[in-house]
Amino acid sequence: MTLYKQLSFLVTLLLISIFIIVLGVNFKNSTDSVQEQLYADAKNTATSLSLSLASANGNISMMSTMINANFDNGSYQNITLMDMNGELLYERHSEEKTIDVPNWFIEMIPIKAPVASANVSAGWNPIGILNVQSSTSDAYQHLYEILCSLAVSFSITFVISVVILYILLIVLLRPLKEIRHQADAISNNRFIIQEYLPYTKDFSEVVKAMNIMVKKVEDIFNKANDALRRQSELMYKDEATGLYNRKYLLNKLPEYLKIDAQIPSGVCIMLSVNGVQEANKILGRQKVDKLYEDIARMLKQHSNDFENSLVVRMNGTEFFILLPRCSEVNGISIAEYMSHASDILLSKDLDRTKTFLTFGVYEYNHKQTVSQLLSASDYALSQAKLFTDKTHVYFHKTESDAEIMGKEEWREVIDFAIQHNTIHFDTYKAVNAGTKEVIHNVLTIAIISQDGQKYSYGKFIAPAITLGLDIEIYKKALVKIFKEPNAELKGSVCSLRLSSQYLEDTLTFSELKHLLDKYAKDLPFKLIIELPDKALSADSENLQLYKELFELHNIQLGVFEFIGESEDYRYLKELRPAYIKAEIEYLLSQTTQDLSSLQVVADSIGIDLIATGVMDKESLEKLQAIRIDKVQGRVTEMLS
Amino acid sequence: MFFKHLLVLLLALTFAEAEAYVSQSIIKNVEKKYNKFAENRFIDMQQRLDALKNKSTIIKLNTINTFFNQVRYKSDMQNYKMSDYWATPWEFLARDAGDCEDYVIAKFFALKYLGIDPKKMYFTYVKSTQFKEAHMVLTYFETPTSEPLILDNNNRFVLPASKRPDLIPIYNFNGDILSKAAKKAHQKTTKKWDDLIQNTKKGKI
Repeated sequence: MTLYKQLSFLVTLLLISIFIIVLGVNFKNSTDSVQEQLYADAKNTATSLSLSLASANGNISMMSTMINANFDNGSYQNITLMDMNGELLYERHSEEKTIDVPNWFIEMIPIKAPVASANVSAGWNPIGILNVQSSTSDAYQHLYEILCSLAVSFSITFVISVVILYILLIVLLRPLKEIRHQADAISNNRFIIQEYLPYTKDFSEVVKAMNIMVKKVEDIFNKANDALRRQSELMYKDEATGLYNRKYLLNKLPEYLKIDAQIPSGVCIMLSVNGVQEANKILGRQKVDKLYEDIARMLKQHSNDFENSLVVRMNGTEFFILLPRCSEVNGISIAEYMSHASDILLSKDLDRTKTFLTFGVYEYNHKQTVSQLLSASDYALSQAKLFTDKTHVYFHKTESDAEIMGKEEWREVIDFAIQHNTIHFDTYKAVNAGTKEVIHNVLTIAIISQDGQKYSYGKFIAPAITLGLDIEIYKKALVKIFKEPNAELKGSVCSLRLSSQYLEDTLTFSELKHLLDKYAKDLPFKLIIELPDKALSADSENLQLYKELFELHNIQLGVFEFIGESEDYRYLKELRPAYIKAEIEYLLSQTTQDLSSLQVVADSIGIDLIATGVMDKESLEKLQAIRIDKVQGRVTEMLS
Repeated sequence: MFFKHLLVLLLALTFAEAEAYVSQSIIKNVEKKYNKFAENRFIDMQQRLDALKNKSTIIKLNTINTFFNQVRYKSDMQNYKMSDYWATPWEFLARDAGDCEDYVIAKFFALKYLGIDPKKMYFTYVKSTQFKEAHMVLTYFETPTSEPLILDNNNRFVLPASKRPDLIPIYNFNGDILSKAAKKAHQKTTKKWDDLIQNTKKGKI
């Protein structure tokens, strides 16, 4: 129960109590006053009548007449005249008259009309005692009217008081609302600084303390962010040419060579500047450095036409260009063009037989490993150096492994899965190796063909991308998750990856929104949607929509393929993902300082760091040595 | 001083069996608030009452009437700065002053203490033809129908009503009787009587 509700309840209770007590006291006073009045009236009558009776000089008949005259002209219940021995001489008594007062009131308020007495004399001698008792009917009528008017006036006052007090409570507790908002933000790793300090001293102190705390955490984050940003610049950039370096290439290549790569093939060109020593002697170091800058500019210029292209300076004399979606023919012609262009760059003073550029061209596809690609590129370059022709370009063709299934066969299998909804989910676990606790279940999509054959994500996704059916598969998979959730996963946390292609598709958003609006609240497990770091750090307009949609339905985000190449990590603070997943190779290749900054950034905003692709215990031990316990990969099977 | 303490002790021993009309604490308080003479009046009163215990009614009436008539007359306005105040017997004797009601009250309670049936005594409002003013006397009725004896502060003798043509009776009042008559319905009698009873019980001086 919120403080506002508690206080409202308390205030209402207090007001009701006060009003009941005040009403009670008022009514009690009124009742006492009415009783007093009854006695005073009776006493006045008794005294005045007894003085009148003295003039009758003991004549009973005359005294009776006098008593009758008083009784009939007043409101009495009883008038009795007794002699000095207590014997009744005369009595008048009346029944209570009918009044417009409910019975419950008469039963609840017993009014006993007091009896007032006075001595009656005849000359010097006392001859009797006169007792007078007033009627209670008028008193009841009067009291009931008092009660009604008290009830009405108190009800009006109560309502007005409650309204005023509630308004005051709202005003007084407004700062508390702000504090709560700030506290909620802190627990969700969002940092809000309260600009306006509440007037109430206690609240003001709390806000100040929270502001200081938030500021400190934010400072820690900012410092770590700056450090990480500076380090990533140093770590990934070649200072002389401004190109990426070999380390960046090694961290980035898995993105191009994964099974669900957006662009599954392309050309990579490795080039080497030969005869640098001679060039240094002839031109001097400064001019040669300038030459490198020109070459870098030229390489970038020629690779710009290819989306997601990479230009890397591998070492002093070698460069690497990756051109996704580039064909063999195009690759060779670009290399030849660059070779011609380099001729122009090289000074006329240089001996062209000694100083020249060689280009090794290699056509890659996503099925290769990083080392395979680099080895083949190296081989192409070495061949180019060996078999130099006029253009110094050598092309090395991949030995393509024969496809087990052709395109049409795959189309049949995938179409069947889409049409008949034979989408299936495999689950594996992300585990905290320290506590052996399961962090979440990772859901991966599998499909089942007409003949009952199951195809895992790794097998079917590449053909699906080639056939342009991957987004359709994702859509079907999402529908299945929400409409037919796996009951066995009830109460757990599950993650599902969505590709950049899915997010970029213009039609997916409205379908997913409709799905979430309808089914998200009934999902039996907590869902985390994993999105690639590159897409998240780009922070596109489209992605904003997804973020808001997921937030609305209490679906958390996860980051995968993290290689720390962003220029600023504030997007993590704004996004508040549940975790960052990075390949083990990336994490192990970090310097202590880099890793420490990354961990501070993650810790300060409450993000877990999970290593993926951890295959054996040896790798796990290396990770644990750098304080990374949360892992995903084959090693999780050995942890249970 | 020694004599005084001895006297107080003797008195205390004497009244150990029967309750004293005036308690020792009241006597001490009177001495504190007023003076030694006031205290002596109380001691004297107690002695006289004790001496009257076994005497006849008429001796009791005469002695009590004479004893209290020695107190000086003083109006309520002069005495208490208010009009028509019914003083307790202790206030009356301690101040050694009072008006006609105060004499009547003091005599009534003293006689009651001496065993006179309160039903036989009345506070009687009269008109004094001599002074042409309202006045109060204590009347004693041997029987309800007998001629009353008048205890008046203006006359040192206790005389039958017929011997007091200067007084015209107006109204008889006896709070004790009225209290008993009204007891079943209400404890009140009149404000002045009820206040007087309360003040007397509290030992107001």
